[in-house]
Amino acid sequence: MLARIANNLFWMGRYIERAEHTARFTNVNYFSSLDAPNKLSRDRQFVLQSIYEMVGEEDEQDEVLVEQDVLYNIALNPDKHYSILKCITYARENANSSRDLISNDCYETINKFYHSVINYPKEYFVTRGLHDFTSLIMHQSTILKGKIRGTMLHDEVYALIKLGINIERATQVTHILQIKYNAAEQVTLSKPKHLKKSYEWTTLLKCVDSFDINRRVYRKPPTQSTVIEFLMLNPKSPRTVLYCLNQMQLHIAMLDPLKVHEKGTALFLIGKMRCEYEYKTVEDIQDDVKEFIAHTFSSLVELSDKIEDEYFYH
Amino acid sequence: MYNYTIKYTAENTYENPVFESFWQYIVTPQNNSTQELNSGLFTVSEDALVEKSINGYNFETTRIHTKKPFESIAFEAVFKLTKTKADPFKIDPKFTIEDDYKAISVLDFQVDYEAFLSTTELTTLPKAHADLFDFDMSKSILDNLKKLNTWVHEYIAFKEGETTSETLLEEILEKKQGLSPSFTHLLCAIARVNKIPARYVSGYLHQGDGFFGDSQMYAWAEIFVPNLGWIGFDPANNILTDHNHIKVTHGRDYKDCEPLKQLLFSYGEKKSKCVVEVTYEQ
Amino acid sequence: MKPTNFKHLFSSYDGNENLFDEIFDKKQNVRKVYQKLFDIYNDQSIEEFINLNNKAKTSFFNQGITFQVYSDDKAQEKIFPFDLFPRIIDANEWKIIEQGVLQRCKALNAFIWDIYHDKNIIKAGLVPMELISSSANYLRQMGGLDPVGGIYNHISGTDLIKHSDGKYYVLEDNIRCPSGVSYVIYNRNALKRSLFGVFNHYDIHTVTDYSENLLEILESVKPKGVDVPTCVVITPGVYNSAYFEHSYLAKTMGIELVEGRDLVVENDFVYMKTISGLTRVDVIYRRIDDGFLDPLEFKKDSAIGVPGLFAAYKKGNVTLVNAPGTGVADDKAIYTYMPEIIKFYLGEKPILNNVHTYHCSRPTDLKFVLENIHNLVIKPVDEAGGYGISIGNRLTKPEIEAVKKVILQNPRKYIAQPIMSLSVHATYIEDCQSFEQRHVDLRTFTLLGQDKEFVLKGGLTRVALKKGNLIVNSSQGGGSKDTWVLKK
Repeated sequence: MLARIANNLFWMGRYIERAEHTARFTNVNYFSSLDAPNKLSRDRQFVLQSIYEMVGEEDEQDEVLVEQDVLYNIALNPDKHYSILKCITYARENANSSRDLISNDCYETINKFYHSVINYPKEYFVTRGLHDFTSLIMHQSTILKGKIRGTMLHDEVYALIKLGINIERATQVTHILQIKYNAAEQVTLSKPKHLKKSYEWTTLLKCVDSFDINRRVYRKPPTQSTVIEFLMLNPKSPRTVLYCLNQMQLHIAMLDPLKVHEKGTALFLIGKMRCEYEYKTVEDIQDDVKEFIAHTFSSLVELSDKIEDEYFYH
Repeated sequence: MYNYTIKYTAENTYENPVFESFWQYIVTPQNNSTQELNSGLFTVSEDALVEKSINGYNFETTRIHTKKPFESIAFEAVFKLTKTKADPFKIDPKFTIEDDYKAISVLDFQVDYEAFLSTTELTTLPKAHADLFDFDMSKSILDNLKKLNTWVHEYIAFKEGETTSETLLEEILEKKQGLSPSFTHLLCAIARVNKIPARYVSGYLHQGDGFFGDSQMYAWAEIFVPNLGWIGFDPANNILTDHNHIKVTHGRDYKDCEPLKQLLFSYGEKKSKCVVEVTYEQ
Repeated sequence: MKPTNFKHLFSSYDGNENLFDEIFDKKQNVRKVYQKLFDIYNDQSIEEFINLNNKAKTSFFNQGITFQVYSDDKAQEKIFPFDLFPRIIDANEWKIIEQGVLQRCKALNAFIWDIYHDKNIIKAGLVPMELISSSANYLRQMGGLDPVGGIYNHISGTDLIKHSDGKYYVLEDNIRCPSGVSYVIYNRNALKRSLFGVFNHYDIHTVTDYSENLLEILESVKPKGVDVPTCVVITPGVYNSAYFEHSYLAKTMGIELVEGRDLVVENDFVYMKTISGLTRVDVIYRRIDDGFLDPLEFKKDSAIGVPGLFAAYKKGNVTLVNAPGTGVADDKAIYTYMPEIIKFYLGEKPILNNVHTYHCSRPTDLKFVLENIHNLVIKPVDEAGGYGISIGNRLTKPEIEAVKKVILQNPRKYIAQPIMSLSVHATYIEDCQSFEQRHVDLRTFTLLGQDKEFVLKGGLTRVALKKGNLIVNSSQGGGSKDTWVLKK
């Protein structure tokens, strides 16, 4: 497997996953905030800023955000590197360079996906199309991931895509957790006792499409500690950090399983982090949740750099 | 017997880091009937892969590949070789002047020496200058070439600064000045127009005897004279080549013999310095 | 039941009897091989056909079988126009074509060997030295080099036309990096999907065996001492117009598709950079032009090549397919000498006809050409893709004068041929929603390896979509058709 192509496959996975998270986050934040119990949670500026924070747009502090601009930038602006359109474009470019390795079915799906995004009417989107567009992205990326799993040989090509998808997912889940934790803090600034049961925890779960699953696990409304425990440490739900770490270990091991014995390799480090999270309890992290989230985020970034250095550059 | 030491040094500095680079030097003296290379040592200041290889015409190259960023890099090559005086060539008296011209008009001869008979961009004589120098058919080819060598020497002034190794003859003839590559290109061009195979030689000149030389590589021509073979002419000094000329490579013109080709991944300004020292002990 | 407004597909077909129509004879009767196909098509309404046509187009688009068109600074993706009415070549006719192109390719291979070795054909006075030495594609670095198996043009694309006399003529030999074979296969797939049941009526040769044969050819020319060779395809990159084909071939051969930056030369061996380090590469099917292969040997500013590649090739540590320097023989000026070349090396008579060619480098020919431009096609000798071609009878007087001027500036660069009347084929024209006559040619694909040869039974029938146009290249607005070679 060529190092350059491996890099492209890894990033193809990351971009597909990133587009999906951006779409869902925007959708959930926009719509579920419309009837939020807290006034600040309903505030449009608050919501739009949160969306910008998700994609890392650094807006001017005092600037009043225009809803249509924000939505356009997030979804369809070809000049914003974080836009969903750009993610799908990059994903397809990566697929183009490795189309001899991925299945025809997979390529065709990604190609159609790209064309449906690139041709999506801008006017319609910023006025009425937010739900339709974000649903399309979530739907298409799910289909695409299904095709990847269902039509490709589960070899190193597959492993690299999955590795990208899972590291991106873990990173996004952690990032969303970070944003929502801050939001919950702000919303309950005057009444810190309310933090533990803030409505933001519900939104948070919806942002990672885990509200219903969480309900089945805990059978009561989400609280700070159940949400943190669930999103960080639950091994069974597909959008949690521990689940992704398990997947990452599984797939990176397909590339060169012997590296597990080598200290300091990406495989070794992923295994180490995975074990750490497997045996962590919510009580261990409760005292400094913020610090733990930040630590998780930076560990994931370091892992990604390590993977790239080890496999993609010679 | 002359025991030569040749030192080729080059230093390059860059405004921004060079991330990856490839270099190909053609500076190693060849082995032939009058020169024998005893040792060659190539060193690079940076961490790099240094390999000996060949170019498309089977001359030795030194190829360097760097993978770590640097802002300056230095190369040094030291060659030691022995040079002997060539035997004076014997002109076969059976061979008449007519035979001379007959030999070069045979198709097989023209096909076999095609590479050094057809012109290149750097050895194209501008149409306006087509009759700069006329061959005297009553004299032998060798005599004509000697005369031509002198003529080129007198026509152009040896002067640095205004031209490069790749300046076209049109400009050289207009400015009437240049360095050894331009002298050589003009000599080759006129020989080829007269259907005599001529090739560009790149090498080193020992300047101890008061010859004109370039500060870097030096150029002269080898011209094929029927029944004698390839004979070296140094038009910049108006002599036939001798023990002061150390040959590295030959080709159709300067472009085949470029001492350095490189590929760099960087941007911005760069500064380069290259020095050649040629010394011998008898 | 047919709708009352049923309009036959061919109801408005206007057969020009001065042209050779592949489907209809002079009396406008359907030729025998096309009868069944014609009946099936003619049974469909325009609406049904439009529907089929749109589906086929969408299918091509979704599969990403597209090329980039740049206009108004924006890149747009377009599919290669594909026509749903196939061209049929019967077994006897094909036999001649196959033997003919194989003969040409072998003769060209022998010619290239000779040109880079003893140059006997020149010494025999049959081909002028000047023609070779002035060719921009003559690589003197190849002199004296013996490629594995003595093969230079492993892959050749020969362009044929059917003239109004019903005979095939060779228009060009493409032996640098001929492209188009992937369209042959995709056209076939598209047609199979669209035309339900039609294939049952005809017994035709498959075209999908191309890749396996190509891989065998690549493996047959592995360097000495290599047991199981690692073969790769090298591409200039995703933005190259033929990238789709490069990836298709790599995929169907099951080998890596690499770019220059994926390869590195160490100690005159070629390696590719993989996730687990360097892996030696033995055979490179290169889709990069000669000049860009190695920046240390050829064009200094080539960013798509591999530094040191040519030295590795020269030392016999890697095989390049096609060999560098083959372009000297697909120079259109060499084309004229093909009958002599075939006779000289093979001792045979040419099976396929050559179109008479005038060399502007010859004073008598030049004079004739300048006086008769209105009846001639003028072509530059070293351009591909249909660029720089002037067709005399389409030119205005000032244009003719301009062409004359251009030729006179560098006569060696031009040849002229009589305007050949390419045969026409029924082609669906979207704007008119009906079938019309359009000019077609045929590109065949021939493979030569060590002790192996192969001619793809089929080919790319290219169509000039503009009415009356004779230039079929895709870069000039041409389309293509599936080509059926019938079994005996």
